[in-house]
Amino acid sequence: MKSPSRSWGWLAIAIVAAALVTGFITYRMFNGSVDEMTAQADYQNVILVNVLVGISVALFIFQLKWGALRVALTVVAALILGYIVTAFFNLDTAAQFTRGKYEVALISEAAPTTADGTTLSYGGVEKGEFNKQGVRSPVTDVQYTFAGKSGDVVTLLAYAANNRSLVDLQLALTDASGATLATATAATAEQIGQFKDLRTEQDAALQDFTLPADGLYTLDVRPEVVSFSTTIGETVKATNAAYDAFLLGALGRVNRWAVWIQDALTLILVGLAIAIAFRANQFSLGAEGQLYLGALASGMIALAWGNMSPWIVIPVAILASVTAGFLWGLIPGILKAYLNANELVSTLMLNTIAIRFYDLVLTFQLKPPEAGYISSEKFTNNAIFPSIVAETQVTVAVFIVIAAVIAVWLLITRTPLGYEIRMVGANQRFAAYGGVNTRRTIMLSMAISGILAGLVGAHLSMGIYRQLLINISIGLAFEGVVVALLARNDPLVIPFTGFLYAYLRAGAQFMERDANVSFEVVRIIQAVIILLITAEALIAYFQQRRVQRKGLQSTAEHSKQAAEGGAHG
Amino acid sequence: MADPIIQGIFSAAFLASILRVTTPILLPSLGALISDRAGVTNIGLEGMMLGSAFTGVIVSAYSQTWFGVETGLVIGPWLGLVSGVFVAIMLALLLGFFHLRLKANLILSGVALNILGSAATVAIMFELTGDRGNTSTLASLQIPFIQLPEFIKSIPLVGGFFFEVFDNQSIMTWIAFIAVAVVWFMLYRTPFGMHLRASGENPSAAQSVGIPVQRTRFIALILSGMFAGLGGIHMSMGYLSLFQRDMTSGRGFIALATPLLGGNTPVGTMIASMVFGFFDALSNRIGSLQIPSMLPLMVPNVATVMALVIYALQTRQSQRVRAMRTASTGDFNSAYWTAVQRLSLLHVVMAMLAVIGVIIAISLFLAPNGFGGYDVAYPLALVIAVVSVALISANIPFLTRVERISAQIRFSGLVSVISLGVYLGLFFSLLMQPSVAFPLGVVLGFGIWATIGGWRLFGMARQSA
Repeated sequence: MKSPSRSWGWLAIAIVAAALVTGFITYRMFNGSVDEMTAQADYQNVILVNVLVGISVALFIFQLKWGALRVALTVVAALILGYIVTAFFNLDTAAQFTRGKYEVALISEAAPTTADGTTLSYGGVEKGEFNKQGVRSPVTDVQYTFAGKSGDVVTLLAYAANNRSLVDLQLALTDASGATLATATAATAEQIGQFKDLRTEQDAALQDFTLPADGLYTLDVRPEVVSFSTTIGETVKATNAAYDAFLLGALGRVNRWAVWIQDALTLILVGLAIAIAFRANQFSLGAEGQLYLGALASGMIALAWGNMSPWIVIPVAILASVTAGFLWGLIPGILKAYLNANELVSTLMLNTIAIRFYDLVLTFQLKPPEAGYISSEKFTNNAIFPSIVAETQVTVAVFIVIAAVIAVWLLITRTPLGYEIRMVGANQRFAAYGGVNTRRTIMLSMAISGILAGLVGAHLSMGIYRQLLINISIGLAFEGVVVALLARNDPLVIPFTGFLYAYLRAGAQFMERDANVSFEVVRIIQAVIILLITAEALIAYFQQRRVQRKGLQSTAEHSKQAAEGGAHG
Repeated sequence: MADPIIQGIFSAAFLASILRVTTPILLPSLGALISDRAGVTNIGLEGMMLGSAFTGVIVSAYSQTWFGVETGLVIGPWLGLVSGVFVAIMLALLLGFFHLRLKANLILSGVALNILGSAATVAIMFELTGDRGNTSTLASLQIPFIQLPEFIKSIPLVGGFFFEVFDNQSIMTWIAFIAVAVVWFMLYRTPFGMHLRASGENPSAAQSVGIPVQRTRFIALILSGMFAGLGGIHMSMGYLSLFQRDMTSGRGFIALATPLLGGNTPVGTMIASMVFGFFDALSNRIGSLQIPSMLPLMVPNVATVMALVIYALQTRQSQRVRAMRTASTGDFNSAYWTAVQRLSLLHVVMAMLAVIGVIIAISLFLAPNGFGGYDVAYPLALVIAVVSVALISANIPFLTRVERISAQIRFSGLVSVISLGVYLGLFFSLLMQPSVAFPLGVVLGFGIWATIGGWRLFGMARQSA
């Protein structure tokens, strides 16, 4: 900001980045085909939202400047850690080759011999499953005994029982004395062609073996031992597939994109709510309870007035949710401002109370008696936010969020209350000394934070779920903490961090669906981001090193100049 | 409907169940107490509890595969205990490193730790069992329960009761209550305890006399992690015998409130934890009646918020009195102020209890179907709401200006006795006819009011008049 030319430079970078991001998202979504794009209903609105994402990127870069680089580095560091965690969870990918259903077949043209204690006979097929998961003592190897005469020609097959079973088998034939007569590991292409049961070379076949003597033979079948390189290779392959779904999955189809956008709208509002309280240095996590009550208030209005005009129902419902949030935020605000009660403990307790209360009303009052699971009736079309992209939950909430961002920005930077909030946040004693009514400011900062959290409730009930459900939010307040922290509590940066974090959350969902890696990986990444962002000394450490290096350089130059000067003099 | 509850509440079995559910609150509360006293509030207790609860289950289950079932059954629980506590301590070290070394915000890194604990346990559970809800497929073990010797029963009068309360309690329960004494000894009778308290009360002064504040705080965090770990172990290997996702369900946060309620002392913390244990056990018991189960489940949380309010008001009150005593020139009437303080506490508690009434009234109003339909719920809601609001508005004037208590001692006394009468009457009417219960409540209420200082103040007021 000091020199205008530098600001212009940042502005240029920001605009270029915005254009690139908008272009990339739109390109990926429609595979670069204009026809595909125009075939999509409401494609103009899709582009509009993508432009908004681009604008959020621009704001992020322009507001934070070099700070943006730090945020980006933090996220990348957390993603790398997430990759390692995912790889760790995928270490057992290769174990899929050691478990699964198998079948064993004994084929012979010769006349069957009967004997006691045999478990397999000519023409017989036996089934089983190796290393079944969740079993206390899983099967790791099996022995089958069969009787045969000298000169019998037998063919032994061991193969995966179905397409889902990837077990890699080996077999060994031993005679009654225990001596190994023959082994087989991988079926050849010829054998696969010959026997219809064999599918891949992971199956094992011992073809046309002539028995040397009369008596009992034992067939030992077990999964092949997986080599270390296979383990690593499979792990990396699985992790890459998982990360591909994680990082690009949200751009696959419009409905996946919609999952991202609708979640981002939620997170931006929660982030704004958290940021207002954090700006006043109040570690309030009350957004969770406030949004439950907001959802309850708006949901009850939507259910009761479902037949009225949307121009009446929706504003009234929003007003109700906002009021509920405000009042529920006022309680910890008063407790903190006037009694100095720890806001973290009080908000966490109030959250549980609000959630139980929501459950109580939902279970006993709003749930239709015949409903199988705990949820209210679906809202009528008059009482839901209209979608701006057909058949998705991307609704007019987009415009509500834009309005909320601008309103919070104006509040924080352009109003006396915002000034007081910033003063109290920077130094409460100094603010009090300077004539700020700190009690009122603390109280209002938490209550206004509640307003936004209440709005989140309305968005969840009328925009996303379109009915009231149990567990409407699981720990959204904590997600909001990440969004607000990444944005350094700057309302103009929060849209970007909301989009970014929602992108990761949506990606984690698709990763779980596509690659069977637990969604919780993204929450581990979240924890790492919080730790890295709040670790103040981390930058201080690097800055110190930079200063030291610069200092050393300049001292070196000085001494050099001094030496030269001395020589001249 | 009423009798089984009351009989249940006064039974030895109920006392035993209080001890059982107090344990997972008491252990992390001691951890919170230690870290609080060192000036590093440990928000991450919840995450540490989850980490240790999960590790304990996994290690105890797998020890049977590692060492064979015979050996595993014997050493498994202890191996689980040790490794669970180890994990909790590791998490505490992480918190200490980020806060004390990298100067990360203590609250936010604690929040991060909670997220980490919750997420990592679910993720690993999903990997190991394919289930993201609980570990019921694993044959995890329990920490042994202590069976008391039979002869205790034969001790006259108390023997049978004592036996019923303390028999068959987990070793963790015994550890928890013994730990109260150990923590007390450590805090008040060892040099380290003194360093710890000094680091919390005035770090710069402590630093100036050579106390290693950073190191003391580090150790305090480790100790609090250890207690959180023990609490987690009790959750998954004593209270239950499996791990469920987020099974601590906010106990780590309640543990942050109990030291505040208990005046930041080990014994106070124990009593506060037992109050929570009482409500917890109560909600387990009345959950089976016709009352929606959510209502009793709110009680511990409402109680915590109330505890915060009461604690804050009391602290302010005693600070004021102390300031007055310091400023006074010999004419300080300490008996008078003690009585005023006690009576103001009575008013706070009376007003706070009425808040529960307001919550019940709102619940009745918004969800009448949960309470037997509109025609039952609405009149009841109205009565409860009117009585609660009346009680709150009558008690509040004495909180905003405590001088009113002595100036209007008759009115204050009337409000106190009626409030006490209502609550005690409600309680007694579970046992007997309301026509007997409420008068009895009022009489008893008068007794309580007079004993804690009402009579003395009344006398003083008459004299000065």
